[in-house]
Amino acid sequence: MPATGEAHPRPLVAVAEPLDQTRAAQILGGRHIFGDGAGAHAELFFGRSPEDFEHRNRYQLCLIPSETGREWLGALVRLNCNYFVECYDGFDLGDLGPLRTAKRGANWDLLVCMSTQSAYQLPMARKFVTALRHRGIIHDTIAPTVEMAVQEAFANSMIHGNLEMNTTGHLSMDRFNELGEETARRLASLIHGGRAIMLTAKKRRNGNVEISIHDQGSGFVPPDETPVPTLPGAESTFGRGLPLIRSLCHDVTFDRGGRTIRLTFAPDASAALPLNTNFVAGLEAAEQGDLRNPRDATILIADDTMISREIIASYLRSDGFTNLVFAKDGEDALEQAHKHSPDLIILDIIMPKMDGYEVCKALRTNPLFAEIPIIAQTALEENEGRTRIFEDGATDLILKPLNKAEMIARTRIHLENRLLVKQLQAYQERTQSELEMARDMQEMLIPKAEQYRGTGLEYGMTISASFQMSSELGGDMWGLAPIDDDRLGVYIVDFAGHGLGAALNTFRLHSLIWSDDRHDDDPGAYLESLNRHLKGLLPVGQYATMLYGVINRTAETFRYASAACTSPVLGNIKTGETTFLDGSGVPLGVIRDARYETREMPFGIDNFLLLYSDALIETVLDDGAFLEGERLLKMVQAIISETGGMTDLASHLADQFMDRAPVKLHDDFTVVSLQPNPSARTTKQHQE
Amino acid sequence: MNYTTEKSGDTIKVELNGRFTFGDHSSFRKLIEEIRSQEAETQILDLSGVEFIDSAGLGMLLLARDEGEKSRATVILKGAQGQVKRMLEVARFDTLFKLED
Repeated sequence: MPATGEAHPRPLVAVAEPLDQTRAAQILGGRHIFGDGAGAHAELFFGRSPEDFEHRNRYQLCLIPSETGREWLGALVRLNCNYFVECYDGFDLGDLGPLRTAKRGANWDLLVCMSTQSAYQLPMARKFVTALRHRGIIHDTIAPTVEMAVQEAFANSMIHGNLEMNTTGHLSMDRFNELGEETARRLASLIHGGRAIMLTAKKRRNGNVEISIHDQGSGFVPPDETPVPTLPGAESTFGRGLPLIRSLCHDVTFDRGGRTIRLTFAPDASAALPLNTNFVAGLEAAEQGDLRNPRDATILIADDTMISREIIASYLRSDGFTNLVFAKDGEDALEQAHKHSPDLIILDIIMPKMDGYEVCKALRTNPLFAEIPIIAQTALEENEGRTRIFEDGATDLILKPLNKAEMIARTRIHLENRLLVKQLQAYQERTQSELEMARDMQEMLIPKAEQYRGTGLEYGMTISASFQMSSELGGDMWGLAPIDDDRLGVYIVDFAGHGLGAALNTFRLHSLIWSDDRHDDDPGAYLESLNRHLKGLLPVGQYATMLYGVINRTAETFRYASAACTSPVLGNIKTGETTFLDGSGVPLGVIRDARYETREMPFGIDNFLLLYSDALIETVLDDGAFLEGERLLKMVQAIISETGGMTDLASHLADQFMDRAPVKLHDDFTVVSLQPNPSARTTKQHQE
Repeated sequence: MNYTTEKSGDTIKVELNGRFTFGDHSSFRKLIEEIRSQEAETQILDLSGVEFIDSAGLGMLLLARDEGEKSRATVILKGAQGQVKRMLEVARFDTLFKLED
């Protein structure tokens, strides 16, 4: 689809707070980002986290503030946008700009541009690769290789490019320490640390993915290709990356006088990769002609002798096929194919200008003709030619002289197959669109970021959440139920199974939860009553796990009851201690008179609580293991110690999970964290 | 990357965790100083908690080996998995270190 020419398209720009209107306008003015000057009248949307931005909006650009740490790197995965630019002091793209125009169709499928200072501290290669996986640009299977190559290339561009460090020669411990100190000095200086580093990725038509890293250094001219990866020895330690990169990529090239390194990766042939529909909302699928009756099919007959064309045509007409088009040589065949988009092609192999083999190959490389049946006709009886035409993409072969009955039979059967496939595709597309509607509705059951954050503030708490629906419909749901000034109810639900059934049950339970106002009941009694209602509604064999708890900010307690929910994590940001709470209990909807125990835990100013669905602990991560038990606690502890507890725990955890989990989750994924926020509650406070 | 150390008898065991990459200068420097300050014949670097290493990380392991040699200690790399294991293989670290599962 060609881009539609709008007169003055207004780009949508997502602006991450604390960046404000003024700062955004400064960066967007001029033509360094939008080459057509469209930045000056961009429509700005502000938000505190990626969740604040509507997923149905496609943003042309996201501006991220400096020193936000990892929080906004998560946006690469979660925000419907493909250009991310950090607004840092001394921002100057130089010859890297302008990055794009406001018209549809960006040059890159993903672009991230940051200052060296910021990028140095962040796991850029990892986040970039995670984002590419989630956007369907690279497949899970080649992601580890891509990440290794990008990491090396990125490190090279940072250290040799922007920081201009010389790391050649033998590396002793003293030299290493010197280099470390020099690196720190240069990072702090505007000359080196303020240079931009940019990562871009593009999927080519042939399926190859190109990832480039652009720096603003003096240009690194690589030595001639080293044939084999050099073994580690007494030589330099840093900068050994290049041979490694070459061994990991399909191709490595340099540009901009060695300030851009471009890595090309061939696709994993074994894995077909559908583009992630979440990120291609702006693209439109090619219109497919509707074919309901095989007799209405358009058939292209390509043969260099008129008499052969006429014979074939007469056979086909006698069976009721009337939409016939003709080509007199190979080149003509391609031209006619483009002109008429036939449903089937009958192709002679020996033809002038371009033979049947070439025509076949050319047609198959074009996605429009990738699946069209091609019946090759030939007088060749030798095996070689027959095998070759199949290799070049023919669907079937028919021998000359032509037999009328055979000709018709083969034509029919291939058209019918094609018709069935098309109908199946149409059916799938319709089901898909209905499922998407159901997904949207289900997403409305989940509180929006501004809602849960606002509710949190009213209770002097930081509440953070991450929710990702599985590839099919799932049965997860969570929510907040304010009771009075002190008490806040919270629930998390996971219906067994997924698909439409689970989703419908989620709606049932949601209306039960909100149909009466009994949230201030004792949590155990509350689940008992909910279970009785639900048991009456659910068919045998369907059930849900759920946790309902009440945080009391004055009594500093968390009282909860659990119906086989995952074990919540209770932790302390000061001591770093974390423990699993007891999540045992009968699932909802199994037995009518199930009893639920109310459990009480102290929940003070230093505590935090983490609720999650089982997708978090039952997804096989890239190392083949689950994130369960001690491993989950360790990850939580690491986040807490890294951020001093001042963090959106759930988002952080989700980010780290996404880095290592497959793109397609088999189940809904929900993580919710709740923690008192001293700055919102106490008046006197001493922070570092 | 972060780490914990544990000394028992003649052996010092260092458990490394997280991603071990070019930006880990200062934590590695501290680590080496900590190892230096304790006499040990055997230095075990436990990599089972390391999820990703790049060539700079490998370089730092080589430095640890050089340092170990200075004090005549044997440096053992233990428990590498996944990507880390792959990197050690690509770089033929089996020829330079004693590797243990």
